[in-house]
Amino acid sequence: MIRSCVLILALLAPLPALAHNVISAVFPSGSDIEGEVGFSNGEMAPDLLIEVFDQAGGKLGETRTDTDGFFLFTPSEPVTHIFRGDLGAGHVAEAIMDAAEVAQIMGQSPSAAAPAAASTAAIPSAATAAGLSDQARAELAAMMRNELRPLRQELTAFKNKSDFQSVLGGIGYIFGLFGLGFYIAARRKIGSIE
Amino acid sequence: MLCCGSVLKSSSESRPMHIVDGALSNPVVIGGAVAAVGGIAMGLRSLPLERIPAAGVLSASFFVASLIHVPIGPSSVHLILNGLAGLVLGWAAFPALFVGLLLQAVFFGFGGLTVLGVNAVNIALPAVLVGLMFRPLVARGSPLQGAIWGGIGGGAAIAATTLAVAVSLMLSGDEFILAAKLVFFSHIPVMVIEALLTGAAIFLARRVKPELFGDTKGSLA
Repeated sequence: MIRSCVLILALLAPLPALAHNVISAVFPSGSDIEGEVGFSNGEMAPDLLIEVFDQAGGKLGETRTDTDGFFLFTPSEPVTHIFRGDLGAGHVAEAIMDAAEVAQIMGQSPSAAAPAAASTAAIPSAATAAGLSDQARAELAAMMRNELRPLRQELTAFKNKSDFQSVLGGIGYIFGLFGLGFYIAARRKIGSIE
Repeated sequence: MLCCGSVLKSSSESRPMHIVDGALSNPVVIGGAVAAVGGIAMGLRSLPLERIPAAGVLSASFFVASLIHVPIGPSSVHLILNGLAGLVLGWAAFPALFVGLLLQAVFFGFGGLTVLGVNAVNIALPAVLVGLMFRPLVARGSPLQGAIWGGIGGGAAIAATTLAVAVSLMLSGDEFILAAKLVFFSHIPVMVIEALLTGAAIFLARRVKPELFGDTKGSLA
């Protein structure tokens, strides 16, 4: 038994260990909402239907991801947008953009939630203060997004990766748990004999 | 680790055996949890003292197996090894696999805590069924014959698991045939690999430790 398990482990050990989790994010992109869907190992989900709902569950619209797993959605109502993509087989990606941020994108004064101005909106408004034209602002924002995209992906992948220490820790927990079970069972057995 | 730039061909090829939080409807989640509690109770009752170490080792094997992705063509799949656990442990495979799943959820966010029950049933129930069906066959005859039956059992456990996953998704509203096809076909390579691995493990166990399948007194079958 033990030998067979050692054999199995030895056979499998050299292969790389990695875990997949669904990652998704949305962020403002000019007058649109841009989002991405993919897996934590860096693979993106191309040509995926993304459905957009409001908070009450009513459908606001839908869009599709491009070949890199990015999608664009133009909001028409300043309400909270919930983006859902069903990647099939139990994988669901969900990302939420709250009403204040959507209102900011649409250029409306976020009257409903002015104090809760999202941090992502801080950059464009700072640019306005510096006297930049709308076009320059949009270009700057697009540039920033492109620069930050790989970073963001890598950060999510890093957060989701399963490292060797955790694997060893998990195995330790399992042996510890079963050891404890063994101890309790053995005590019970000894107690019943006496 | 995060290098693979290849475009995803089908979304089902990353770990569909673990359903994630939010993918299932509440009745399915609750039903799964209740069934899992029953299975664990049943398993603990049929776990004799001398089988606890074996259960621990198989639980750890399962825990690690799911982390190891085998590259096949452009995609990759991971092993599950629930068939082997079922063949060796019978009902006791339920708590063993549950512990593995629990730690996977806690350490790596595989699946999730709310769907733990459903995942446990999807993975452990086929293991138990395979154990009940194939264990007598595995114990009989020459080690090679046992290994062949073991291999069939290992493959069948994966097939049954894909079916269970598809049923869970269907009960939550997905179209069954579509979901089942997607999960089933993407797992044919896993079935083959698991069949070979389980067969090899059974062959070795029958040679070096035949009593592992010999005793039937432990209410395993």
